[in-house]
Amino acid sequence: MAETAGIQDVMTGPASPAPGPPELRGSPSGFSRTIIIAGFAALLLAIGGMLLVQIAYAVEGGSITPQCRELGITPFVVATDTQPASGIRGARGVCNIISAIRDPWTRAFLWSGIVVGAVTMFVALFTYRRMDTRRRREQVITGGVVGLQAVQAGAFLLYFSSGRVDRFATQFLNFEVLKGYGFGFIQAAKNTLLLAFGGELGGVIVGLMLAMLVLSQRRAVRAPARAYINFFRGTPLIWQLSFFYFGLVLGLGLPFDVFQAALIVFMLNTGAYAAEVFRAGIQSIERGQMEAARSLGMSYLQAMRYTIVPQAVRRVIPPLMNEFVILIKDTALVLVLGLAENQLDIYNYAKEGYSSTANATFFVAAAVGYLAVTLPLIRLVNAAERKLRGGLLGLSVGQQGI
Amino acid sequence: MSAEEPLVRLEGVQKWFGNLHVLKDVDLTLGSKEVLVVIGPSGSGKSTLLRCVNLLELPTEGRVWFDGRDVTDVRADLNDVRTHIGIVFQAYNLFPQMTALQNATLALEKVLKVSKHEARDRAMHQLAKVGMDHKADAYPGQLSGGQQQRIAIARALAMEPRLMLFDEVTSALDPELVGEVLEVMLRLAGDGMTMMVVTHEMGFAREVGTRMIFMDEGMLVEEGEPREMYRDPQQERTRQFLAKVL
Repeated sequence: MAETAGIQDVMTGPASPAPGPPELRGSPSGFSRTIIIAGFAALLLAIGGMLLVQIAYAVEGGSITPQCRELGITPFVVATDTQPASGIRGARGVCNIISAIRDPWTRAFLWSGIVVGAVTMFVALFTYRRMDTRRRREQVITGGVVGLQAVQAGAFLLYFSSGRVDRFATQFLNFEVLKGYGFGFIQAAKNTLLLAFGGELGGVIVGLMLAMLVLSQRRAVRAPARAYINFFRGTPLIWQLSFFYFGLVLGLGLPFDVFQAALIVFMLNTGAYAAEVFRAGIQSIERGQMEAARSLGMSYLQAMRYTIVPQAVRRVIPPLMNEFVILIKDTALVLVLGLAENQLDIYNYAKEGYSSTANATFFVAAAVGYLAVTLPLIRLVNAAERKLRGGLLGLSVGQQGI
Repeated sequence: MSAEEPLVRLEGVQKWFGNLHVLKDVDLTLGSKEVLVVIGPSGSGKSTLLRCVNLLELPTEGRVWFDGRDVTDVRADLNDVRTHIGIVFQAYNLFPQMTALQNATLALEKVLKVSKHEARDRAMHQLAKVGMDHKADAYPGQLSGGQQQRIAIARALAMEPRLMLFDEVTSALDPELVGEVLEVMLRLAGDGMTMMVVTHEMGFAREVGTRMIFMDEGMLVEEGEPREMYRDPQQERTRQFLAKVL
């Protein structure tokens, strides 16, 4: 903490009575405040208004309207001896969504959002240059930008609500059909994470070793590693999965089950990409670091282990993270292997649900599932990255020029 | 090894970088407790010559002896040789992910296999000698150039080398920070350390050097006692150079 304060002093000059630099952006004005509030109000009208009507219908829980019945959205009736099953599951929820979209209030909210947004945008566009303090100018610009976003959002939603809302709602927004699949989705998320985490972890280890080999001065050491990397980068992952499982496991008889086979292929494949990331990271470390380490009597491997690699690891976290996010999504490729139901990943579990119910809402749920996995991860890694960089590049963080 | 065997001996050293002939048949000796100052215009091969001593640059031709050992022999254990030769670089080259203390203890622990406790004591002793013990837990990025360079010197000294190489160690420093580094080097020379110093600090060169060589275009042009050489250079090329920089 004390050291951080020291750096702060260097950056901002001698300690001033108030902590932090002085406020130089000036005061806001009534006009600039109005613009920024108008911008956000427009956005709220367009998106919030639409959601509000949806929520109102969902809470109110009206009965199935005649319009819905005309569209074939009727309550589900189990088949009896005399007549076949009719209607759809979740008819009421679907009908509510449709009715809410068709409600004049939705239209009114969307249109008012568009109008307010457009007016704000134009007023901002023609006045922002005349603002006399930095803060006023920033507020007017922000208001104008958010107003533009309100126009876009309103226009899109209006355009979509003019389509075949009934079919869309029935097919993609019928959340009733997901009932009973919750546990399965959790298990699928676990499988996806297991495949992605395992693949990434193994890949990082494989990649680091390959990077060391590829960086060798000796061609005899470099060549096999290079061949491995080129092979795995040069063939599709889906081919690698198929060949490893059908060719080497089923054909050659290697003792792996289908899940293990997938995990191994993800490791080998990620290893090739991670190797290139590590190679670039290691090569980006200044030559002087290796010279300093060697001049102290360290061997090449000691220099790598204690000085070069620890620095390179910090630099390659963002690109490795990128690889990891790609891998999370690529786990969906295990579909070619025909996994058992309890081994399925998120995407293929959703596909299974779609097949058995003929309702595509499962794919919407799959997207939510993926985001539930990836968003916290992205946050976590970003935080880790900031922390790791802290000691190294403390001064470059938070300093902006142009 | 005879009593007169110098600590360092270079014989017919040549260095090529691609088609560039950087060192042209250089012979040089350096005795114990000598402070050899190397001067010359940029591109004259001073740094390359210095880096040939601890084999950071491998001579294309010729031999280098350190303490009676031919270190250009392919069988020489360079890692061991380098533990006896400290070097300080123009760009400090501290390890940025480690504190000052960790910078100085790393090689003691990993190369010399000194115990953690003893490594700490040795490193702190050297940090104190360069006046940086109060910053033992600071990271290089938090320190000024002069402070970093003094830590780099302490890191090299912690290995208790028999020879110290200095490669334009003040060239990257702000003018007001040069003094503190030179002061450390002067004290080191006073303590009897054998040193080879590549520098552009002409005044310092005269103060600290027991012997001076002037290099130009990869050749050793003139050799002598610093004061003598400043007053009365023997070679025309030396005269021209000194006239410009003094």
